Amino acid sequence: MAALASQMVAHVGASCFFSSRRSGFNAKKQFRVRADGDRKAMIRKENNGWKVDFSGEKPPTPLLDTVNYPIHMKNLSVQDLEQLAAELRADIVYTVSNTGGHLSASLGVVELTVALHHVFNTPDDRIIWDVGHQAYPHKILTGRRSRMHTIRQTSGLAGFPKRDESVYDAFGVGHSSTSISAGLGMAVGRDLLGKKNHVVSVIGDGAMTAGQAYEAMNNSGYLDSNLIVVLNDNKQVSLPTATIDGPATPVGALSGALTKLQASTKFRKLREAAKNITKQIGGPAHEVAAKVDEYARGMISASGSTLFEELGLYYIGPVDGHNVEDLVTIFQKVKAMPAPGPVLIHIVTEKGKGYPPAEAAADKMHGVVKFDPKTGKQFKSKPSALAYTQYFAEALIKEAEVDDKIVAIHAAMGGGTGLNYFQKKFPDRCFDVGIAEQHAVTFAAGLATEGLKPFCAIYSSFLQRGYDQVVHDVDLQKIPVRFALDRAGLVGADGPTHCGAFDITYMACLPNMVVMAPADEAELMHMIATAAAIDDRPSCFRFPRGSGIGVPLPLNNKGIPLEIGKGRILMEGNRVALLGYGSMVQTCVKAADSLRNHGITATVADARFCKPLDAELIRSLANEHEILITVEEGSIGGFGSHVCHFLTLNGLLDKNLKLRSMVLPDRYIDHGSPQDQIEEAGLSSRHISATVLSLLGRPKEALQLQ
Amino acid sequence: MRCGVILPGTSTAPVHLRHGAGTVSWIPPKRPGLRAAGLKARAAVEEGGRVGASFYDLLGISEGGSLEEIKRAYKKMARKYHPDVSPPDLAGEHTRRFIELQEAYETLSDPSRRARYDKDLARGLRFAFSSRRRFDQELEEKSAWKNRWQDQLETLKRRSVQRDSTENLSWGARIRRQRDGVSIE
Repeated sequence: MAALASQMVAHVGASCFFSSRRSGFNAKKQFRVRADGDRKAMIRKENNGWKVDFSGEKPPTPLLDTVNYPIHMKNLSVQDLEQLAAELRADIVYTVSNTGGHLSASLGVVELTVALHHVFNTPDDRIIWDVGHQAYPHKILTGRRSRMHTIRQTSGLAGFPKRDESVYDAFGVGHSSTSISAGLGMAVGRDLLGKKNHVVSVIGDGAMTAGQAYEAMNNSGYLDSNLIVVLNDNKQVSLPTATIDGPATPVGALSGALTKLQASTKFRKLREAAKNITKQIGGPAHEVAAKVDEYARGMISASGSTLFEELGLYYIGPVDGHNVEDLVTIFQKVKAMPAPGPVLIHIVTEKGKGYPPAEAAADKMHGVVKFDPKTGKQFKSKPSALAYTQYFAEALIKEAEVDDKIVAIHAAMGGGTGLNYFQKKFPDRCFDVGIAEQHAVTFAAGLATEGLKPFCAIYSSFLQRGYDQVVHDVDLQKIPVRFALDRAGLVGADGPTHCGAFDITYMACLPNMVVMAPADEAELMHMIATAAAIDDRPSCFRFPRGSGIGVPLPLNNKGIPLEIGKGRILMEGNRVALLGYGSMVQTCVKAADSLRNHGITATVADARFCKPLDAELIRSLANEHEILITVEEGSIGGFGSHVCHFLTLNGLLDKNLKLRSMVLPDRYIDHGSPQDQIEEAGLSSRHISATVLSLLGRPKEALQLQ
Repeated sequence: MRCGVILPGTSTAPVHLRHGAGTVSWIPPKRPGLRAAGLKARAAVEEGGRVGASFYDLLGISEGGSLEEIKRAYKKMARKYHPDVSPPDLAGEHTRRFIELQEAYETLSDPSRRARYDKDLARGLRFAFSSRRRFDQELEEKSAWKNRWQDQLETLKRRSVQRDSTENLSWGARIRRQRDGVSIE
């Protein structure tokens, strides 16, 4: 094996080591990297680049150990920077293998990060990372290396750049395509204040499919403020970068344009020829030639670059995104120019570069749990029940088998929404529109007007981006689009940027929308059938991240439509009623079980519908109990508010009823484990029991609850 | 352990660029020196596929062979392995061998290509045929990219010097002029 090989090199070819073709300077370096003479170094320079051995141990990183902040990188040579990049790679793989998180995106931008921090003076110069899941090397180089093992965990580093966390994080990101807008704002602010720092926005080709990126580029071209946009092109437009059968082909016409940009040999040959001619003519002719060159660029150049040029950004590229020397040269040159205006540097990278298992994987190991660094195999535990996403996909497939008008739409989240399975079964009826939620909603509305039955599967927090389309294009016109809101409620390690706290509020306030939430996976399947059956108005249902609870599923995974506006009672009791909405019903059941130990039998009801409310059920609960507690995993203004409003309008609060609404608190809950987040939010079963006990006048028992 | 002896009919798989290593050569190299020592000592890399022998091995000649030797060796081998004269059951392997021979001859008979090949050999990189071409293509593409962005940077530099002249009415230019307090011609 390779290990054997170089041991032989070491012993037999000791002489060739000294006369190595590398310069003496680097040969010295080679000595430094080798900690002990016999064992082969884990990170070593070979003929055609740095090679890292990914074993399970912490990699020795002598050069990276000297870098705590970007200022420590200023005096490094290009060779040093390449070594730093190799060590960074090893460090990232080692860290993420122990914590889980986003892996390959970070690996693809290691050289870019190193070059940016070497050339620019952060934090005065601002670097904005779009989406931010590729910012792990950035965090390591900006003083957070010692805390990287806590990333995405409670009280640890956030998985995305966060302004509260460090002054080097110029802008908080998580939803995509915001970097150019934010960057332009910072550039204009700098100009108005008379400062001289630089602003760099790093955006990927996936994030480029969103409209906001074009809005920002259009505006930046008009304003002409100095701004550097780095387009990180790795040909991975959709997430997670793969369908069931293999890598996903990029969606959208833009990818084709970018590919053409990379490969326009005709253009190059023409310019080469032109350059040679003008060189021979020389002198003033060269000036004229330069002018002609500029016009020719516009006319003959590859189609994609004119797009950016038309928007007013100067296009440079494509550039090899893994060549530190090239990147440093370009950044230095652009930085030195007095007035370049907005510049777009198109770099080409490979997602997961430098870590063979990631390069080989179909989804490039975009998001991983703990894994073994040697092989890349992830340690996925087998849950007892599947994820809600999976149940959603299966139930939708069953509905689509019976009804051929059902189509599915998602916004570059085939894996995350489970629609990859739908795509495999019905390739012509599944639409991935790229990162374009606004377009997805109106597109679905258009489909529905023609009689089709569109299911729009968009994460609860991502649908925020398409809200006007939901209001104006769907609800106002009463068009039957079905919304499947995945990741509703708290989402754990991704944190507040991905938290679906607001969907009950923003959906239930719309006049024509039917709003429902399942308590478990069987209910979810029934609600999918219900939504398929609602053909005269829009409807939505929300379900959380995580797995089901293991209830028996309907026959053949095919749900039965529920009666609209009817909830159900799960447990009968007296005095106390717990009215849950969505997955919180299970928490209410747990609370009721624990309350039984205190001699309290609570009624537990599942509201099922937030709109229209089950008036009869709520009326009976209000009339027959002293205490009514509504529980939901959503912000204020949602289910609890609707119940409250109903009760007040019907005079049901005029008697002896004690009403309490338990909702998510009025602040953003930081990333962490799901249990920690629920505790932090005050929505665990313990909190519900404590509320009941204090209302019953037994506060001491409430405090003593485990 | 792979020894570099090519049995007739064995195919050579493309070498993965990153694991550049050679095989232990049976043919004593005409050029003495440390380079040879290093070459001798390297074992084949298992991962990434097998590595082929050099073009010289295929033709059965020494590395310092003259053009005449190469031509003669090629003619001899070609007569043996040409698909038309090979027995039917060995046709497939012989055809593959023949194609390899053709490539070997083409490379070694062209002096500049041979020089480049020898240089690679000296560094211990033995490319199978298709991957070398791909490598070349990639190199060419990358150098084309480099030329292109160097041009683009030059043009941008030229433009940027005149960017803030008073003719430019964009917001950015105006603010920059104010900030710098100078009017540029």
